Amino acid sequence: MPKDTVPRGSNRLFSRGLTTVAVATVGLFLASFLFANSSLNRGVVLTMLPFASALAIAGLGQTLVVMQGGIDLSVAGGFSLYVVIVTKYPAGDNSRLFAALAIAVAAAIAAGMVNGFLVGRMRLNPIVATLGTNALLYGAVLWYTAGIPTTTTARLAHLGSKLWLGIPAPAYIAVATTLLVTAVVKLTPPGRRFEGVGANETAALTSGIYTRRYRGGAYVWAQLLYCLAAILHASIVNQPTAYEGDNYLLPSVAAVVLGGTSLLGGRGNLVATAIAALFLSQLDQFVLALGVTYATRTLVQAAALAAGVALYTIDWGAIGRRLPGRRPISVAPT
Amino acid sequence: MRDRRKGALLVFAVVSGAVLLAAATSSARTAAVPSWCGAKKITLGLTDGFGGNSWRLVTTASARDEAKKCPSVTSLTYADGQGNTQKAISDIQGMVAKGVNALVVFPDAGKAILPALRSAYKQGVVTVPYRVTPGGKAGVDYNVFIDTNFSKAGEAWGKWILRVLPKGGNVLMLSGPKGNSQGVDENKGLHKILDPSHKYTFIGEKPFEVTNWDPALTQKVLSADIAKYPKIDVIVSDFGPSLVGALPEFTKSGRKIPALATSDGNVLGCFWKTHHAANPTFKLFTVSTQNDHARLAIDWAVALATGGKKPPTTHFPAPSFEDSTTGKPHPVECYPNLPGDIYLSAELSPKVQAKLVKK
Repeated sequence: MPKDTVPRGSNRLFSRGLTTVAVATVGLFLASFLFANSSLNRGVVLTMLPFASALAIAGLGQTLVVMQGGIDLSVAGGFSLYVVIVTKYPAGDNSRLFAALAIAVAAAIAAGMVNGFLVGRMRLNPIVATLGTNALLYGAVLWYTAGIPTTTTARLAHLGSKLWLGIPAPAYIAVATTLLVTAVVKLTPPGRRFEGVGANETAALTSGIYTRRYRGGAYVWAQLLYCLAAILHASIVNQPTAYEGDNYLLPSVAAVVLGGTSLLGGRGNLVATAIAALFLSQLDQFVLALGVTYATRTLVQAAALAAGVALYTIDWGAIGRRLPGRRPISVAPT
Repeated sequence: MRDRRKGALLVFAVVSGAVLLAAATSSARTAAVPSWCGAKKITLGLTDGFGGNSWRLVTTASARDEAKKCPSVTSLTYADGQGNTQKAISDIQGMVAKGVNALVVFPDAGKAILPALRSAYKQGVVTVPYRVTPGGKAGVDYNVFIDTNFSKAGEAWGKWILRVLPKGGNVLMLSGPKGNSQGVDENKGLHKILDPSHKYTFIGEKPFEVTNWDPALTQKVLSADIAKYPKIDVIVSDFGPSLVGALPEFTKSGRKIPALATSDGNVLGCFWKTHHAANPTFKLFTVSTQNDHARLAIDWAVALATGGKKPPTTHFPAPSFEDSTTGKPHPVECYPNLPGDIYLSAELSPKVQAKLVKK
């Protein structure tokens, strides 16, 4: 590609990550069709899509943090907390649902600000800081529920099971959220500055951007997205436990990695993350439908993650050049 | 006039006499000390490896309720290990240091707890682990282990399946984490009853589909199985309430909910009540979730420490609870106004449980 045709910044429509994950997802659905036909049954797809939607939204949050060179391990605690708030606070009473949603959002902002303060302002290592916040959030979960699950309110469950044009409502919410977050990051000036800070903080600082605000702000937006994902999750699962977030920690990071966003920060592939969430969810159903044992299922999922990481981080060209026989010059024996 | 007054006095005397008599008998009834409660005054400790769910809350409350029946127990201290083995061990050591006379332990961490149990036992504390085996030997490492035979639950399910599906069929079993001993034993009991007839096919992963007792995973696993197996005649699960979110997958796929052999829970009973009319194949059988296992452990600990009479057995039974086809021992029960996470098979009343869970 000649240099002058490369668009400025990262406005390219199809990044490497997006292409890769889109091809992989199409390939997976093809494999599902060929080898595990039952995983494409209407009933299974209708179960898988809402979970994929919640994971996609949580993955978007994680992507924002990773774009700032961070990582958010408090997704587990935060997610669990928002799930229990929107189930236990109303405790079956539809009229209290709205208040519960408001409390969950407030809690998300508070949790995000703690992370943002520790990482953006105090310059703590994000792994340590968010691990600490995670423990705090789980403390709040246990204090609030004593670990006891509550059945989802009927009105919320209605959202999770509703079909619009034969597609579950959460899928529409995930698509809309992905488009909105992508538009804000890629098309608005604050969004461009956000990406710039992640790519090179020093350069951003010298060009007069108040970088701390963006570094810390990523965690607040991330928690808000986890909160939305948690609300969807609570609407899908009839009686969520107090530990639902645990099931989102590794997959949310995996979605980011498979989507091609570098863990070192910088450009984020938000759409690719959302598609990677679909990939991971279908992979779950694919291996379930294959009927392999639980051990194999776990291995397949781990292998997918490893392949994703390897795809983007290993310099395959360099390895190719190092292969014997491909060496341009051979070293003479001494 | 005078006679009337006399008559009134007589009536008064009779009534008050009757009241007194009733009061005396009722107080005699409440004061009836169980045989396992001896005369020696003791303090009692109760430690849990993990206390954070409704089943544990009800179980702990059952243990407290049982201890209250014995006036010789002057105090009961409880500690929750919160899923942390280190804490569970130091809880036991702490209880011993405090000088409890008897200690009832739910050793979730299994053999890791054994040294702490042994040291408590060697220091003269009556030590009674229950439900999860800590290894070791009674009389060497602790006084007595109060177990339950999970394969009996499997046998009960198997016998019910023989009765409601006499022509045979496809059996799908779901349990918790891979290889958990409860699920493995239940599966053995199930095979013991069903295999001789050669009419039942076990489908899905062997010995059981792994759900980690997690409702979200249960939902995914069940929807995959529904798509894969066009014919599922009965589902066997050792955690009935976690199926409530997953069973509607049958309806979504345009199929009827099959028969279900599982453990009880209010939420499940209520689910059956609302769905069985539209799903004629949805027959329900439950065994008790065994919250009262803790009561037997308390009985033993108190009997040994106070010098009371030992209970006749160290094995807690797996009693059947509900059967939608016969109504015996109980018809399916549902308290729609009480929380879903209460266990109607427990001795503790539903209202008391509801208060615990709602707190």
